[in-house]
Amino acid sequence: MSRARAARDAAAEWLIARDQDGWSADDQAALDAWLDQSDMNKAAFWRLEHSWKEADRIGALRPATPPVRQESGGSTRKWWPIALPLAASIALALGLGVPGVLPVGSPRSAPAPAVAVTKVGGHRLIGLADGSKVELNTDTRLRTLVDRGLRSVWLDQGEAFFEVAHRDGQPFVVHAGPREVTVLGTKFSVRREGGKVTVSVLEGRVRVDDVEPGGSARSTIITAGDIALSEGTATLVTTGSKERVGDVLSWRQGMLSFDQEQLSRIAAEFNRYNNKKIVIEDPEAANIRIGGTFPAFKPGAFARLLRDAYGLEIEETPDAVKITR
Amino acid sequence: MDEEGVREWFCREVLPLEGLLLRFIRRNWPVADDAVDIAHDVYERVIGAARSGIPHNPRQYLLTVARNQLINRAKRARIVSFDLVADLETVSIDVDLFETERRLHARDALRRVQAGIDKLSPRIREIVLLRKIEGLDVRETSERLGIGRDAVNHQLAMGMKALADHMLGGAGKIVRRRYAGRRSNGDEA
Repeated sequence: MSRARAARDAAAEWLIARDQDGWSADDQAALDAWLDQSDMNKAAFWRLEHSWKEADRIGALRPATPPVRQESGGSTRKWWPIALPLAASIALALGLGVPGVLPVGSPRSAPAPAVAVTKVGGHRLIGLADGSKVELNTDTRLRTLVDRGLRSVWLDQGEAFFEVAHRDGQPFVVHAGPREVTVLGTKFSVRREGGKVTVSVLEGRVRVDDVEPGGSARSTIITAGDIALSEGTATLVTTGSKERVGDVLSWRQGMLSFDQEQLSRIAAEFNRYNNKKIVIEDPEAANIRIGGTFPAFKPGAFARLLRDAYGLEIEETPDAVKITR
Repeated sequence: MDEEGVREWFCREVLPLEGLLLRFIRRNWPVADDAVDIAHDVYERVIGAARSGIPHNPRQYLLTVARNQLINRAKRARIVSFDLVADLETVSIDVDLFETERRLHARDALRRVQAGIDKLSPRIREIVLLRKIEGLDVRETSERLGIGRDAVNHQLAMGMKALADHMLGGAGKIVRRRYAGRRSNGDEA
């Protein structure tokens, strides 16, 4: 066997082994040593690792109506239905997506979910009976139910960060409208704006399922550093940046962090937290890209920074900060 | 350039060019079976060189390294005629032809994963999907399917390698034929 093929085979074995439970520091050291042996090993491993990770996108790929047909030459798509039983059970459990319907199978006398709410600018930490913690961001409403084998949270609106206590055989499920997030032991946040759902994972692994009634079975597993954006039938996964997830979660420290984002988006983000809204009247100014970390509750201070740094003109009233040119 | 930077650059800039690299090698080298080995030799060199500096034009650079590699190989292998070496020295590394390649790659990434999975054999596909969609590990997969862990390991490894080949656009005949079709009728993609 050629060197290249031997390196490829070994790389696949390492990659599978690393993915299993019980991967230890010693195992990692052995892998590092193997990688350091040659750039050939590195090339083979990096290449396989990269494309294997890319393949995580399959969750976003399921066609709108899974073709059910016999294998008869041509393209074979009969693998789609594998995930169907999963989706069917989820749709059932959700009562076809009507928010607030208790999952089928819970006893009729099941306790009602507890409701937690924050106002615009609010920030609140709540503990659940199982030891998990939920941190609510601004303008958020969620309901929690922890009862025997069941741990469910319904995110009706807004954004929350979850630190989930690990319990064997007791899944922790976050229902966010058209998406359902099943926790496989982790820290992550879910943000919901109507039908748009963003899941950012800080630690561990979660599964995001599409539970739109009549929709298809979409299921995506994302891991630390990943962000999954879902809207309608589409799910986009951006992978591999702990920094970006850190930015997304900066609200937990009362700060907002941006990496060269458009001013219009930044203004929308500030406006989630404050009753004093930033209004951009100049379309050119709306397109300026800005990076940095700013206190979430001081839109006025942010606007003055824009005036000083970019020469924009601002006009402050009690309930708005207008940015004219 | 630190190691993490090299890895990141390699995945972002070099791997998407694998299809181009393999086609270049196959066009200019008589033994098709050598293509994978030559490509890996090129990767090895490129990674080594990246530690001391990242090239501005990865496309041009990759093909230059590939051409030098082919020339070295041709000089070492006695069965190859001198004509080949001479030909190689005049091979033009015309990158403009491939200018759109990488953008296509980014846009088609999702479709490529799907196509790659479609091309796997049914058993391997099932094992890959159990991993990717349901998140089962090797032990759980072996229990679910009632087959040994070694078999799961083996098939998962085959699936991983085949997927990488499919997705990076270097999967032998199928991809080559498609590519030839695309060239002949303009820009089908």
